[in-house]
Amino acid sequence: MATHALSPAAQAYSRGTLYDWLTTTDHKKIGIMYVINSFIFFLVGGVLALVVRTELAQPGLQYLTNEHVYNEMFTMHATLMIFVFVIPMLAGLGNYAVPLMIGAPDMAFPRINALSLWMLPLGGLLLISSFFTGGSAAAGWTSYPPLSAEGPLNSPGAGQDLWIVALVLIGTSSILGGINFLVTIFKMRAPGMTLFRMPIMVWTILVTSVLVVMATPVITSALVMLFIDRNYGGHFFDPFQGGSAVLYQNIFWFYSHPAVYVMVLPAMGVVSEVLPVFSRKPLFGYKAFIFATAGIGALGFSVWAHHMFTTGAVFLPFFSLLTFLIAVPTGVKMFNWVFTLFRGQLTFSTPLVFALGFLTMFLIGGINGAFSASVPVDFALHDTYWVVAHLHYVLFGGSVFGIFAGIYYWFPKWTGRMLNEGLGHLQFWLMFIGFNLTFFPMHMLGIQGMPRRIADYASDAGWNDWNLAATIGGFLIASSMLPFIWNVFISLRNGKVAGDDPWEGNTLEWATTSPPPPYNFDHLPEIRSERPLFDARHGHAGHAGH
Amino acid sequence: MSSTPRKRPAPDALVAGIVVVILIALVAAVFLSGAGSTLYPPDAVTSEAREIRGLYDIVFAFAVAIFLVVEALIVWSVLRYRRRPTDVELPVQTHGNNLVEVIWTVVPTAIVLFLFVISWNTLNNVDAVSNEPDVRVHAIAGQFAWQFEYLDESGNKVATQLAPAYDAETGVGGMAVPVGRSIQVTLDSPDVIHAFYVPRFLFKRDVVPGQTNRFEFTVDEDEAGQVFRGQCAELCGTGHRQMLFNVIALSPADYETWLAALVERSNATPAPLPSGPVLNVTAKNIAFDTTAVEVPADAPFGIAFSNDDPPGILHDVDIRDAGGTVVANQDTIDGGTSANYSYGPLAAAQYTFFCSIHANMTGTLTAK
Repeated sequence: MATHALSPAAQAYSRGTLYDWLTTTDHKKIGIMYVINSFIFFLVGGVLALVVRTELAQPGLQYLTNEHVYNEMFTMHATLMIFVFVIPMLAGLGNYAVPLMIGAPDMAFPRINALSLWMLPLGGLLLISSFFTGGSAAAGWTSYPPLSAEGPLNSPGAGQDLWIVALVLIGTSSILGGINFLVTIFKMRAPGMTLFRMPIMVWTILVTSVLVVMATPVITSALVMLFIDRNYGGHFFDPFQGGSAVLYQNIFWFYSHPAVYVMVLPAMGVVSEVLPVFSRKPLFGYKAFIFATAGIGALGFSVWAHHMFTTGAVFLPFFSLLTFLIAVPTGVKMFNWVFTLFRGQLTFSTPLVFALGFLTMFLIGGINGAFSASVPVDFALHDTYWVVAHLHYVLFGGSVFGIFAGIYYWFPKWTGRMLNEGLGHLQFWLMFIGFNLTFFPMHMLGIQGMPRRIADYASDAGWNDWNLAATIGGFLIASSMLPFIWNVFISLRNGKVAGDDPWEGNTLEWATTSPPPPYNFDHLPEIRSERPLFDARHGHAGHAGH
Repeated sequence: MSSTPRKRPAPDALVAGIVVVILIALVAAVFLSGAGSTLYPPDAVTSEAREIRGLYDIVFAFAVAIFLVVEALIVWSVLRYRRRPTDVELPVQTHGNNLVEVIWTVVPTAIVLFLFVISWNTLNNVDAVSNEPDVRVHAIAGQFAWQFEYLDESGNKVATQLAPAYDAETGVGGMAVPVGRSIQVTLDSPDVIHAFYVPRFLFKRDVVPGQTNRFEFTVDEDEAGQVFRGQCAELCGTGHRQMLFNVIALSPADYETWLAALVERSNATPAPLPSGPVLNVTAKNIAFDTTAVEVPADAPFGIAFSNDDPPGILHDVDIRDAGGTVVANQDTIDGGTSANYSYGPLAAAQYTFFCSIHANMTGTLTAK
């Protein structure tokens, strides 16, 4: 353009798009990069899961005749999915949404925000690089010592050390991100945005950040001790030199159980945004929901040893009781969601469909978890495929469905374009059916006695059919990613233009353009409730039924 | 379709209600037809397992009830309250209701407290250990094999079972226990964490190095003659899934015979070195001290084998031919012991000698 050519001085400051993204401190660009980075590792972790499922489709060792490689596959699958997909993906959704939702121009510490982001691909690449340095970690994502210690049959080689270093790095990213969220939420809310007018998504990120900041340093300490044991002759976890193997489990789960809520609470936040918008009603029991979220966060710190019921080294009744009790606030949330739908006017756009997937599947993940709260029943179920079913109903049926609800919900805001509804529904049904075909049979396998983390099983154990079904389901889940990727591709090019507020949203991110300008808002609507945009649209009429 | 936007047509509710009823009927049919039985544990064979099974049934009943109620509510709401083109005005903006919040806090609390109390009760029964059990077994789980030491009343070892799996052809191997008697198992590990898991006991307990775990069970009288599968349930390394074992339920009389035979075998004088050439092979740190040995073809030979790893780590020296067929299968020996293995004549060829417990322990054996 003419102005462009006539102002050479401005040229010096104009950088390429790539440079702009790589150096940005804009929370929106950082949020999108969080999402993209996480999605790439989701695909990598998914491929590893397919390798595992392919080996297990039939009894006998068909492909991974070296069982060490099998152990590497499920170890890295879980590690990538937990630490480089689910946690950062939700942090990314939060990174984009939180400043917008509270009417802030950016995160409190934009440069630290960029640092948190860029540690993640580095950590992920460190994990992947271990495949090229003599083999990755293979002691499970839990990496219990002494198996994760040095030793010819344990974890020789650099893979386990790279795993430790990567997790410390990713943990540091989490802590920085958590502090950033906390300061942003407490110090940068727009005038009128009191704590009890914040969107539930912001509340879940707030509680999640408290969990992250309190728990992540604890696992970092376990990792550092393990690193010292492995490399500098330490004996923290070496039972033959005065250390304790169970000590590691206590420290590890003190982080890793709250980490489950780090992986679920923000997904609950997404669902709590989506359900009201698409049923044209406020969230039922807004405050009760917040107290339930805080309750889950608090109880989350006192149930870690339910992962250790069979160690013979924990006080069973205490952890059993607390684990049972955590079902109560979770149940409160479930009923609040259902009663949000009740007497609403539901529009089955893709975000709502995924949110309903979350509701129906996370319910199963909650119920089958209660079995393990009952200690004697857990004696039967612990470390079997039942637990694999349970954790996937929580982390896939819950978190992943919630994540996709969030992606479909906010994609118009991120890009200015709508995703295609038909492809969205196709993805949902492939994923929903594939998910249940994969993970529901694992209940049967577990209860019939199939342990986790085995590369092979006896052909006469009665596990053949369910394993085959689970493998077919796994490939169905994988196939559901194709319509999604295609959808993103075509929608970015030719998708319907979204406009500022395509869903008739309730929260402030819909009050600005799509995508929003740098620093987000030219002006803000008045904030008088947790639904400022609803108020702007309908005035006080909306509160008639209060 | 109704003309008034706020009032919904009755058929909507009817259709939603019918769908919910059909779904509930389907779930009920699955359970009544027996297909739902795959969600129940296998038949319990110990008195402890029967208690756990009873508890499982109660938890399961609550689980199915809660599942049906909530899923039915969701499905009904989804079908009943979809937005129609006539829905222009907003639905009633209900922000909440403190009474129902209290109800769905109190009722679930009561349910989980009830489940907690009955779980605790059952736990006290299945987790109890006595000072004077009828039989004491010391199970040692090392990478990647189990061994079972039988102890007398004062805890002294009387015999060791080094073959953890039951061989139906020879009748050898496995952990035999008498039915109707209390069996106390103590668990120790010389290396990493393992877990003693027998699915039909509905029970497992970790084997933690540096910590002796203990549990007790009594096999039902009518299970005499049955063989139950057991397996390590805690990831313990590359050979994790090979850590199989069997528990064999015998009548008390058969058990005494079985134990006497095991004692006799345990106390038997070790086999003398065979005539013919004898090689010395030592295993230490999960490795053989040699990776290539030579023996004369078509002549018997022996190996004086020493297992210098710690007790709990089993090794042996088996031989397979180039096609992978095992041509010599020796009994494993415990760490800190030695054995004289005799081998039949081998045709001139290249063979592989290996430890049957540790896949990484191999070497070439040349017969010429």
